[in-house]
Amino acid sequence: MSDSRSVNAAVPFAETAVIARHKPKGIWRQGCERFLHSRTGMLGLALVALIVAVAILGPFIAPFDPQDQSAMLDPGAKAPPSWIHPLGTDRMAYDVASRVIYGAPTALIVGLGAMSIAAFLGIVVGGIAGYRGGLADEIIMRATDFFLVIPVFVVILAVVRLLSGMVVNTPLESIPYLNLGTIIVLIGIFGWAPIARMTRAEFLRLKNQEFIEAARCIGATTGDILFRHILPNALPSLIVMVALGIGGAILSEAMIGFLGFGDPKAVSWGQLLFFNYESLKVAPWASLAPGAAIFVTVLGFNLLADGLSDAFNPRSGK
Amino acid sequence: MRLTIYIVRRLLFALLLMSGVSLIIFFLVNAVGDPIELMMAETPGVSAQTIERMKAYYGLDQDALTRYLIWLGKLLHLDFGTSIVYNQPVGSLIATWGWQTFKIQVPAILIALVIAIFVGTTAARRQHSRTDFSVMSGALLGQSLPAFFLGILLILIFSYTFDILPSYGAYSTRGYLWGSVIADGLWHMVLPVAMLTFFNTATLTLLMRSNMVDVLKLDFISAARASGIPERRVVYRHALRVAFIPVLTYLGLLVGLMLGTAPVTESVFTWPGLGYLYVTAIHQLDYPIIMGASMVIATMLIVATTLTDIAYVLIDPRIRLE
Repeated sequence: MSDSRSVNAAVPFAETAVIARHKPKGIWRQGCERFLHSRTGMLGLALVALIVAVAILGPFIAPFDPQDQSAMLDPGAKAPPSWIHPLGTDRMAYDVASRVIYGAPTALIVGLGAMSIAAFLGIVVGGIAGYRGGLADEIIMRATDFFLVIPVFVVILAVVRLLSGMVVNTPLESIPYLNLGTIIVLIGIFGWAPIARMTRAEFLRLKNQEFIEAARCIGATTGDILFRHILPNALPSLIVMVALGIGGAILSEAMIGFLGFGDPKAVSWGQLLFFNYESLKVAPWASLAPGAAIFVTVLGFNLLADGLSDAFNPRSGK
Repeated sequence: MRLTIYIVRRLLFALLLMSGVSLIIFFLVNAVGDPIELMMAETPGVSAQTIERMKAYYGLDQDALTRYLIWLGKLLHLDFGTSIVYNQPVGSLIATWGWQTFKIQVPAILIALVIAIFVGTTAARRQHSRTDFSVMSGALLGQSLPAFFLGILLILIFSYTFDILPSYGAYSTRGYLWGSVIADGLWHMVLPVAMLTFFNTATLTLLMRSNMVDVLKLDFISAARASGIPERRVVYRHALRVAFIPVLTYLGLLVGLMLGTAPVTESVFTWPGLGYLYVTAIHQLDYPIIMGASMVIATMLIVATTLTDIAYVLIDPRIRLE
């Protein structure tokens, strides 16, 4: 410590003042400024903000309760859009607009939940591989390759179905949203490999750079180097992957729901498609609305990721 | 020599992956409980004696490890066991249904490749122009449009509104189109292939464009232009060869993505392919099909990635093996 202080003292006072005034902007500041100028990024942010707003305000803006089937009597099931039911009613006389609105929080929970799990696993695994290197790196990267080639979606489908069969007549059956939770955890567990790969590459690139060496020279601990110096610098690329992954996770859940393996108790867009797809010819609005919601959400996160990657890696790509 | 060692290593790794996948699939399917008991939990009223007989028939009375080894041994002879629901050998089921998957996936990839090469190259040649901008935004939109939602839109437009194309199945149930099996099959293929092609084209075009943009800036292109070779030839002969390499390696990934989402894309059109077979098998807990079909899908995926990895090294002379 005393060494570093004497180095500081050796710098003339006036010069430090000049350096301080012209302190270059950090990567975050620069990235944010570039992001604000990126058209795709801002459009993506607007779409994502819209979905988040709908998810939060859902109970206030939805015209009906998601479980309300009273329309069965008046306009009837599969009624076309009207003033009372802006997007019509579906096969079971639910109000389509309300169900689509109540599907937004489900989609966001799936996206954020699955990606938190995937990001946590990926960063830990990739970080160890990249920082440690050697045999640990070799073993971990082969495991990652393995997770990259297995047909994740195919495996998740089988596990979700088998689990739902297994819990019949057991106390587990009473856990609320057990199926949805399983889907979230599975998407997370099978989604960490790309993030681990990226983390490893970033840690490998950063760990030998001069500022890390400098930090080590002034006696920073390994924990400090990892969490205060390497990780913040690796985050921009990781955030891009997470944004893409959220869209992907929402799409996966929608596909699982569409095939009929979703949580029967949760209101989700995939589930709505599954229930209404067979009446597509008679009541197309009931399938189009949740489909469009999935499209807008996935598009929002993809554009957001595109804008972020332009903002944080200005030299790559276009 | 190095190349041979690389290829051998890659093939060995593929074998290792495949045995790993087989382990995962077998134990996932079996870890959650005895498949027969799971089936019976959902269909009550079957006597214990019958259940015992069924277990013995499907070889489920042995312990898990023995069953795994037996299953693996049979896999090596391409024997996937017998389907519980269809009571037919799973191998022949996979072959018939797999052929239908092949029938729509391969044309979808080829058509998408041709479109991507032309559109991507055109956009790259006029970088930053209006054409380029619309291609880019179209591709970005296309990438986010879920394939199954596009399928639903196609059915609504072409089957229900205009009533010109069939919305489900691979063949008509009553009488073929123009009395010809081939015409009828092609007629049913139009919508599924269109959906898959669209899905592939978006990503391939973006990739093609960004590679082409980079390659067109290289020195050898300037040299080719300076020596008076016509522009068209420069682009489609000289530049394309280099720009196509990353697209080729992406194909391995693409095959995986398409097979992985085949359960969804085929369900939209009730297309009797491998993915649809898999979905119905999962619904009915037909575990020999679940294991067989997922094993086949995983194997094709591993083969595709291994082949592209090897092709990458063979084609691109810039890659030196250490």
